[in-house]
Amino acid sequence: MQKNKIEAKKVSVFYNDKKALNEITLSIPEKKVTSLIGPSGCGKSTFLRCINRMNDTIEGCSMTGRILIDDKDINEKSLDPVLLRARVGMVFQKPNPFPKSIFENVAYGPKIHGLTQSSDELNELVEESLKKAGLFSEIKDRIHEPGTSLSGGQQQRLCIARAISISPEIILMDEPCSALDPIATAKIEELIDELANNFTIVIVTHSMQQAARVSKQTAFFHMGNLIEVGKTESIFSNPSEKKTQDYITGKIG
Amino acid sequence: MTKNFEKINDSLIKRQRSEKNFKLFGLIGIICAVSFLIIILTSIIIEGKKAFVSTYIKLEVFFDSKIIDPDNTKEDSVIKSANFNEIITKSILENFPEVTDRKEKIKLSTFISSSAEDELIKLIMLDKALIDQKKELWLLASSTIDVIHKNPDMLNFPEDERLIDDKESKWFQWFLSEEKIKFSTNKNFFSNADSTEPEQAGIWGAFVGSFLTLFVTLILSFPIAVAAGAFLEELAPKNKFTDFIEVNINNLAAVPSIIFGLLGLAIFLNVMHLPRSAPIVGGMVLALMTLPTIIIATRASLRAVPPSIREAAIGLGATKFQTVTHHVLPLSMPGISTGTIIGMSQALGESAPLLMIGMVAFIVDSPGSIFDSATVLPVQIYLWKSTAARGFVELTAAGVMVLLSFLVLMNTIAVYIRYKFEKKW
Repeated sequence: MQKNKIEAKKVSVFYNDKKALNEITLSIPEKKVTSLIGPSGCGKSTFLRCINRMNDTIEGCSMTGRILIDDKDINEKSLDPVLLRARVGMVFQKPNPFPKSIFENVAYGPKIHGLTQSSDELNELVEESLKKAGLFSEIKDRIHEPGTSLSGGQQQRLCIARAISISPEIILMDEPCSALDPIATAKIEELIDELANNFTIVIVTHSMQQAARVSKQTAFFHMGNLIEVGKTESIFSNPSEKKTQDYITGKIG
Repeated sequence: MTKNFEKINDSLIKRQRSEKNFKLFGLIGIICAVSFLIIILTSIIIEGKKAFVSTYIKLEVFFDSKIIDPDNTKEDSVIKSANFNEIITKSILENFPEVTDRKEKIKLSTFISSSAEDELIKLIMLDKALIDQKKELWLLASSTIDVIHKNPDMLNFPEDERLIDDKESKWFQWFLSEEKIKFSTNKNFFSNADSTEPEQAGIWGAFVGSFLTLFVTLILSFPIAVAAGAFLEELAPKNKFTDFIEVNINNLAAVPSIIFGLLGLAIFLNVMHLPRSAPIVGGMVLALMTLPTIIIATRASLRAVPPSIREAAIGLGATKFQTVTHHVLPLSMPGISTGTIIGMSQALGESAPLLMIGMVAFIVDSPGSIFDSATVLPVQIYLWKSTAARGFVELTAAGVMVLLSFLVLMNTIAVYIRYKFEKKW
């Protein structure tokens, strides 16, 4: 039996008075890829941002219910969201490297958390993170050039390197390939496959093919409700709900 | 289809005509603005460029020991207190042996500026061997002679309408014909502070005053405004109280500057008893005036930083403070610096609030610190403009030139910073 890393229990999210998520209960297995699919505005990104409490930064956003990581409530007052975000990394829809050098981008996380003792150690950590993100061989000669000078796909892999540099346990990905061309997308998907050996990954995607390719578990969201969750193969081949069927056959969405 | 085509075709002529008119009005506007600018600049330059040279008269000076050091003591104090005016008068009179009348002698002696005495003392102090020697020297002429020399048309005016009478005019023309009078760079203008004598008055004192005042303004307003702007934009919760503050900051930017001067007078001088006319108080008043400008610029440039950068930092586990200080503020620095420099150039051109706190005083020494009495460039211009002596007209225009070049320089730096450090996302 697979251990569950994240447990969401009756999670509802409100933007001021508007309900964006309605009592979501969902378990996410450890060191597997779980994808969240659904039409635009269905609340899948909102749910993702609950897991590292990114929604805290949005004015007027509130949440009820519980999210447990390793059986501990992440919304407990004693838990600093900064600590949570060090454990739960995030990759965003649009590649957003800092306008600094490639090295500085990756070194920033370890620096603010004080993870390395010496500059040699830091260099090593940066190199290792870039290697894990499959970027090192391409940019090893220009590690001190600005991160914004890379191509879109390379920038996104740089953002992944930046996220894994602080060794989080979970990586959240919010439509990481939506701004990329098919070749860059393929590279990122390959990378996600590899990363799943070490990290629990939750990926939001609007591409059903991508969900089918990369994930073991898929959850389908619609209008703020979790309609169906299950093994990816069974969701796509034999959905039990009619709405899921309609979505994957293109009737809604 | 064809119906629509005809309709559109008909209206097209009208539409294009209004575009042509709009372009024409725009062009007229530009031409007006540019020609006014040219008129202002040329009139200032034509008048002001005369102030950069002054008139010198060549005299054969005899350093008579009977006057300078009759007892042959060779002591500095004795030499310094000697009557050098007499030496200069004697040197002029040598050229005009026919002048015997006492009044006429005095008139002749006023051809040379009173500051020439100090020049002679300096020369003697450097080289005491000059005593009892003769030496040809170019001495600074008085302002009256300078004005006549610069505006020779004045000699054709009727006697009672010009600055010098017929006799003086004759003497002046003699110097001219003997080539014993010339123009040379006006060193006093760039090295002296204000003076009652136009030929000795300079802009340096006001320049230093402006510099010290702006220094205080920058030191006070920049950190306070950036902190306030960053707090309001990045950290403060959005509620009625912060809305209220925001409205008030925007209102503050529109408050007439003289109000800030009154506040400075009431609080800084009367309550806190800070020194009158000092750059410290001027700087504080101007800092109050500049604060809203920099706060607004700071907030605007913080807002221009894309939210994705903030999300990236927060998602990595940076605190809000780290996000702001490590990423958002450095990225908005070009915008903040531009706003600051523009605020500073506003402060540089400001005179009204400084009149309120006494920076309008007549000050003959350049200030040495922010606690000394001082004046600033625009107030100096105002002071010269309101002085009666003819020689100050040119100084006023020259002062305007200095102030304008200072302003142009600062704005150029602001533009340069904006282009140089502008980030592309």
